[in-house]
Amino acid sequence: MKKKVLAALLSAAMVATLLAGCGKKEEAPAEAPAETPAETPADEPADAPAADEKMSFEIVSKGLQHQYWQAVKKGVEQKAAELGVEVNFVGPASESDIKDQVAMFDNALNSNPKAIGLAALDTSSVTEQLQTAKDSGIPVIGFDSGVPNAPEGSVLANCSTNNYAAGEMAAEKVYEAIKDRISGNVRIGVVAQDATSESVVNRGLGFIDKIAELAVADGHTATVVGNDKYITDSKCEKTEGANVVIDVRVPSSVTSELSAADATALMNEAGTIAIYGSNEHSANAIITANENLNKCGTGEGQIIAAGFDSGAAQIQAVKDGVLLGAITQAPVAMGEILVQTMYDAVMGNTVSDTDTGCQWYTAENIEDPEIAQNLYE
Amino acid sequence: MTDKKQGNAFTNNPLVKAIGVQKVVVVLVLIALLIFFGLKSPSFRQYSTILSIMDYTYYLAFLGIGVTFCLITGGVDLSIGTGMFCYALIGGYLITQKGAPVIVGILVTLLCGLVMGTVNGLIVSKGGHAPFLATLCTMMIVRGMGAIITGGASITWPAASAPNGWTRTLFKLTVGDTKLPLGFLWVLILALFMGTFLNKTRPGRYIIAIGSNKEATRLSGINVAKYQTLAYIISGFCTGLAALAYSSAFQSMVPGGGGGTELNAIGGAIIGGTSMSGGSGTISGTILGVFIMSVLQLGLPLIGLQANYQQIIIGLVLILAVYIDVLKNKKLS
Repeated sequence: MKKKVLAALLSAAMVATLLAGCGKKEEAPAEAPAETPAETPADEPADAPAADEKMSFEIVSKGLQHQYWQAVKKGVEQKAAELGVEVNFVGPASESDIKDQVAMFDNALNSNPKAIGLAALDTSSVTEQLQTAKDSGIPVIGFDSGVPNAPEGSVLANCSTNNYAAGEMAAEKVYEAIKDRISGNVRIGVVAQDATSESVVNRGLGFIDKIAELAVADGHTATVVGNDKYITDSKCEKTEGANVVIDVRVPSSVTSELSAADATALMNEAGTIAIYGSNEHSANAIITANENLNKCGTGEGQIIAAGFDSGAAQIQAVKDGVLLGAITQAPVAMGEILVQTMYDAVMGNTVSDTDTGCQWYTAENIEDPEIAQNLYE
Repeated sequence: MTDKKQGNAFTNNPLVKAIGVQKVVVVLVLIALLIFFGLKSPSFRQYSTILSIMDYTYYLAFLGIGVTFCLITGGVDLSIGTGMFCYALIGGYLITQKGAPVIVGILVTLLCGLVMGTVNGLIVSKGGHAPFLATLCTMMIVRGMGAIITGGASITWPAASAPNGWTRTLFKLTVGDTKLPLGFLWVLILALFMGTFLNKTRPGRYIIAIGSNKEATRLSGINVAKYQTLAYIISGFCTGLAALAYSSAFQSMVPGGGGGTELNAIGGAIIGGTSMSGGSGTISGTILGVFIMSVLQLGLPLIGLQANYQQIIIGLVLILAVYIDVLKNKKLS
């Protein structure tokens, strides 16, 4: 009897763990950098759209509930209405429901649409279906993190954020604010959640490389210290005694406590003039540290802080002036570009990988409809 | 604990005897750590460091106080880390997404802790499950629950600057330009209350008795199941308090997060002299142990130590603490 109860409990616990996987959509990792466009000619259009019949598209996203995906969906619907196409936008309940997504992709194929948009949770689980799509002449366009390592020729193009370029944009904005304050030895902190995920690493590297490039162009010397992975992968020349030190801290595991301790340490270093958090988690760590230190701001002697993505705390911090600003991806534009690319592919035009862009938001422009539509709490 | 054994001049010192050897050692280590970090890092010697250490201490202290009761019965509660996140997610979800008044969110958070504590207690005492296994299961269950209820989204409790952000003020009060670590008062009050409860009341003594010798306790006519359950209910309630402290100190809770925090709290309790085999432990020791954990967590990055080395140091400190416990038990026997 006891064993049965235990077995039941264990199974319940396992189901719970499965469900627990529905972690929050924190960022959209872009696996395909847009600077290397894969120029792939679209397959011949199966048949030209009939004038009286609406073109039908199927889009399978990684999720549906989170506001990020709702924003993508909004862009999809706007563009679909403009082009006069019909779109069925679906996605699994959470980003760990790989099986559900495969079933959705199967359904999409069976409904014989003109084109399919896909943000794959796991490419290997849909390899067969991608081949089927290719064989039946249904063009597939990847979006968000796209469909990395898809079978040759099965995915015509990816529409995703170029994370490296987004990191560079943050660096440009931060540098503009600090360039007159670089005198003697200064430190620029980077709080990174990890050194393994493609999106986080590229957002960090883009920032580091650009800051170093701008500083060197102004006659300074720059170097990277801290996490070994970032030091190795950065393009910045390691210079002994450089006067601009870019200090990258990565916690041993992803917890708010550890990252906040990193941010506290960076902000306490002598000569720290700027700090950057490369995703919502890291930006929140800066905000937590600042609640006790009260050093962030744009005033004389304060530390310029910048974030990435949105979320309730980060939006509030931008409004309060704790953060100078933050980078947001553009999910609405992503949806629009996706539908446009699918449309182009069906019309037989050549399509290529597209950077769906990002925006820098500050206390001034945070209410603009263009920006506000891409922010979520 | 200490009055029965033969010792050297240090352990026979009346003051040391009154406080307890391990606690005296912990206090000395704590002072040594503070001096070390203070010398190594000028920025450690500033007021804001106290605020940061306190942010790291509140939730660990609440978790530690609760889990000390489970440890004393000879059990453990592994569900407190993910539980803390789960209850804070549920309470925060009601406030920020459903527009519930803050007080409702707080009460629901505490209630969730009480309910899960009761569930843990019943599985252990009535179901006869090993506490490690029982709470490992509930640790998974609460990890899933938080994610389901918030729909997979992370939750941020209202900011201190928001009109309904007064939960943060409860732990960090701003007077003029100065921020005061008000939360320490709540930790002290709870510690005094729970310490008195554990040592001076009948239920508290029964809880210690269960950990010393469960069978003898049962044979002397004490309802073992009832007091064992009570220990887990206390742990659950304290986890609810920790959820409030955590959501006040940090920006957001991610569904499925919080795992590993329980080990920091258990580590704090063990450093403070609570025995893993049950039967002995003090609330004051746990508070001191938790301070060691939080000072290390904040201090090690400040002296520029890379992340993975920090983990190694914390691990070594724990080995040392357990070794003291082993030595103590040897002397007693």
